[in-house]
Amino acid sequence: MSEHTVRFTLNGDPREVRLPAGRRLIDLIRTDCGLTGTKEGCSVGVCGACAVLVDGVLLSACLVPAVTVDGAGVTTVEGLASDRLTPLQEAFITEGGFQCGICTPGQLITATALLAAHPKPTEAEITEWMTGSLCRCTGYHGIARAIRKAAQAGVEGA
Amino acid sequence: MRSFDLSEPVSWPEAVSTLAQRADDVMILAGGTAFTLLLRQGLIRPSYVVGLRRIPDAARIDVDAHGGISIGTTATHSAVTRSAAVRASWPELADAVLKVATVRIRNQATLGGSVAHADPASDAPVMLAALAAQVVVLGGSGAGRRRVPIEDLIVDTFTTSLGPAELIHSVELPGRDSRTRAVYLKFTLRSVDDYATVSVGARADIADGVFRDLRIFLGAVGARPMRATSVEAALRGQAVDARRFGEAAALVRGDVDPIDDLRGSASYKREMARVWTERALAALAS
Amino acid sequence: MKLSHTATIAAPADRVWAVVMDLPLAARCVPGVTAVEPTGSAGAFTGSLPVQIGPVRLTLAGVVQVTARDDATWHGSLRADAKDARLGGTVRATVDLSLREVGAGCELRVESDLAIAGRLGEFGQPVIKRKADQILAEFAACLGRSAGSVSP
Repeated sequence: MSEHTVRFTLNGDPREVRLPAGRRLIDLIRTDCGLTGTKEGCSVGVCGACAVLVDGVLLSACLVPAVTVDGAGVTTVEGLASDRLTPLQEAFITEGGFQCGICTPGQLITATALLAAHPKPTEAEITEWMTGSLCRCTGYHGIARAIRKAAQAGVEGA
Repeated sequence: MRSFDLSEPVSWPEAVSTLAQRADDVMILAGGTAFTLLLRQGLIRPSYVVGLRRIPDAARIDVDAHGGISIGTTATHSAVTRSAAVRASWPELADAVLKVATVRIRNQATLGGSVAHADPASDAPVMLAALAAQVVVLGGSGAGRRRVPIEDLIVDTFTTSLGPAELIHSVELPGRDSRTRAVYLKFTLRSVDDYATVSVGARADIADGVFRDLRIFLGAVGARPMRATSVEAALRGQAVDARRFGEAAALVRGDVDPIDDLRGSASYKREMARVWTERALAALAS
Repeated sequence: MKLSHTATIAAPADRVWAVVMDLPLAARCVPGVTAVEPTGSAGAFTGSLPVQIGPVRLTLAGVVQVTARDDATWHGSLRADAKDARLGGTVRATVDLSLREVGAGCELRVESDLAIAGRLGEFGQPVIKRKADQILAEFAACLGRSAGSVSP
């Protein structure tokens, strides 16, 4: 069966990985590259826990064939902060945007993509983009408050 | 999970010839959402996969001289919702496609892939059928390309009439004029990103207060998009009169063939088909 | 999963019943079935059935046997146990057959109860149900044709 060499950047770092054709992006990120911030929740693209950005496009890593990121830039939760947390991440802390944290990487990545596309999102845009990012703990209001707070700070996504 | 040989041709002729060589054990990879799910569940075990991602222009969305549009097979659902060409010609299609799943799925799943996968509960094929879309097919025994109405291409549950070594090149929509109205309504039971319990795609050409033409298709209530032929027959050529919509919509019960599943019993879906067909008619007329 | 089908046959019930309960003959009425062979135990046969649902291809291999039979009232039951080796799913079908006279001919009723386990079951009951429906409809119709065409 075919093996492919995938050359891409992961949070800005150049990577080259050899993998079989059937490898999913989530396995490339977590297993081949050792970044376990991206979580596998449902494995079927429904829950949003595995959300990542590929060239800025929001995707469910559990559904993406890894070979398709050849030549692309992949951003995971580990790549959001630089030497300090982003205003979005700070807002998640102050506004109660997480409790157990299992969905939080996916929430942050999705909200980052939302704010990049809509720096001052309407309630409808927040709902549309965050729909399908499931949280069992917070009841979602803290997440929405955090997004609004980050938007007020005038921040665009990573 | 067993792996497979993946080739990613860089042209349509290369894709067609690769398919022809492997015709009996090959699958096509477009966006990869359905493909990855089937693979992970162990339901498919292809030896060869042809990925379309690297074919230039396979994702193009173009307008023709008559205002019709051509949507390349690898155009994602998101690309369709954001396309200025689609918004100008068929904004109702963009709105219909916006109802699919979540933004993550829409960013990956392709319109062509959705047609080829022919999931009875999916949205795009239903709306495309209502809008009289034609599917451009390449490969197989004929040289060049053939056009198939989408309602003839999707023949059964997860089954199209594509022959071995054939693939979808693009989906074409006709132009429209000021008489044309269209709407897509989706009824979900549990959450907004779910598959429909029933959906209705409808297109009407209304002139002088009369239904000149009417196309109504329903999703998730049969093995494929189900045409509401009884409803169409009752209203085509008739004056547009909201008082008749209830009686006409009730005829849809004989046009659909739902089954019991976790999104509703067959009898419930049949009744909802009636309710939502009536709402679609009201939306067309308003 | 319960499914029900009927077929009308232009032949006398007694003759039809003999054909319907002829297991190798009845088994061959399942569309696509191959390799129907006796297993050695009384009244049991093995067979193989390829099924395709869109991109999913199965080969169900198993055993079918008569579990009940009443020639006086034209009632009988079959049981089929099959599995797909590649997918690791199983199907158990209990099929109740009955005839009733209608004029000079008769009506065959086929009541099936399918239990599907493993990966096949996960694929989605609705999809399997439609396919099973198609197969059983053709089974009933084929039994009708086979029975109706047997010369006296």
